[in-house]
Amino acid sequence: MDDRYIDVPDSRAPNEILATDPVYAVLGHSLTNPVVLGIICAFLAIVMIIAGPSTDSRFIYTDF
Amino acid sequence: MRFMVLVAQTVAAMFVTLIVADVVVRWTLPHTPRLNENFSAAYLQRAIREDHLSDKIVVIGDSALWGYRVKPQEAAIARLSSSSVQFENLSFEGGSPANLYALLRLMQADGIRPKAVLFNVNLKEFNAADSAYQTLYPGLEQLVWQQLRPEERSLLKPTRHATFDARADATLGSFWALYGMRADIREQLFGTPDAVTALRDQIESLSGETARAGAAHVPSPDKFMGTYDLSPLSGTNVEVIFLKKSVSLLQAEHIPTIAILTPTNHGLLHDYIDTPDYGDQLAYVSALLREHGARVLNYDRAFRPDEFFDNDHLTVAGNEHLSALLRKDLRL
Repeated sequence: MDDRYIDVPDSRAPNEILATDPVYAVLGHSLTNPVVLGIICAFLAIVMIIAGPSTDSRFIYTDF
Repeated sequence: MRFMVLVAQTVAAMFVTLIVADVVVRWTLPHTPRLNENFSAAYLQRAIREDHLSDKIVVIGDSALWGYRVKPQEAAIARLSSSSVQFENLSFEGGSPANLYALLRLMQADGIRPKAVLFNVNLKEFNAADSAYQTLYPGLEQLVWQQLRPEERSLLKPTRHATFDARADATLGSFWALYGMRADIREQLFGTPDAVTALRDQIESLSGETARAGAAHVPSPDKFMGTYDLSPLSGTNVEVIFLKKSVSLLQAEHIPTIAILTPTNHGLLHDYIDTPDYGDQLAYVSALLREHGARVLNYDRAFRPDEFFDNDHLTVAGNEHLSALLRKDLRL
């Protein structure tokens, strides 16, 4: 049997895996947590809206 | 299956966060002393519905009453806030009789009857070459377009097109405050229409470009050639039509109306407007206003040239003078 496709579990303990996760180091949560991922997505959407360029059509005042 | 559950949890968390952010925006975005420079339809709608306009004198003017180039608290209307009567400044850059009428219709649709309405009439806006002529401010247009009669719409040049994008944008903005009021949030945060402009302003300030541009920004008479069209006004002029509609509406609603003939820099514009034709236009507009019960305050020549930045925008001292005149004339 070709063992290349056998899912080999990570031999490290969960704490060891988290310790090497840069997201965990900053947030204290792993990106694999769906709630954290959802919050990050929402914040990204908010930042994109607020920091985006103002392209709304408006009256352009002719400044002499 | 487990993957689908994770996706559902992620989406649910995202929506909850967005709803919380939306609530925060609704509660914390301030009601400013005047409309933002780039105000949104959602912000205007909120001001009309939540600012208790029925207890106030509502000011619907152009950039002259909005306070162009002066800080919000330095504008003439903001200076009246200490008086016994409350004011709401719904003026904006590019205001005109057509915009006045549109805003009145919007308030009427919401059943709002202000204590009084104060507006300014600026003769340059009756010039077909003016950029505000027969044009509504986009946010206002978005809110009022369907309420206007077909013959009124036919008089105006729409700034928004009936595309899917425009409809989706308007729909999204109508229930999602963070999205609908994004222009106002940006202006509150950055003091400019967006972050890029704020960054550019900082760079230009540090490089000395702002100072150089300011020094070069000296209004000279030749820059105003063509600003005023002094051919006789008549009922075919679109802004005359909307001015008449505005005062007729106010008269029918029994709302006290005060119209200011806009302070104008005759020192700067002497060569163009100190003619009998200009006087005839002022007389025409004044007669139309009085005919419909409006009180006319003629401030056309009430200010010295050094109280202006340019042709009709008052300096800080000019705004102070204007507020003093209004206090006296309105007996505040």
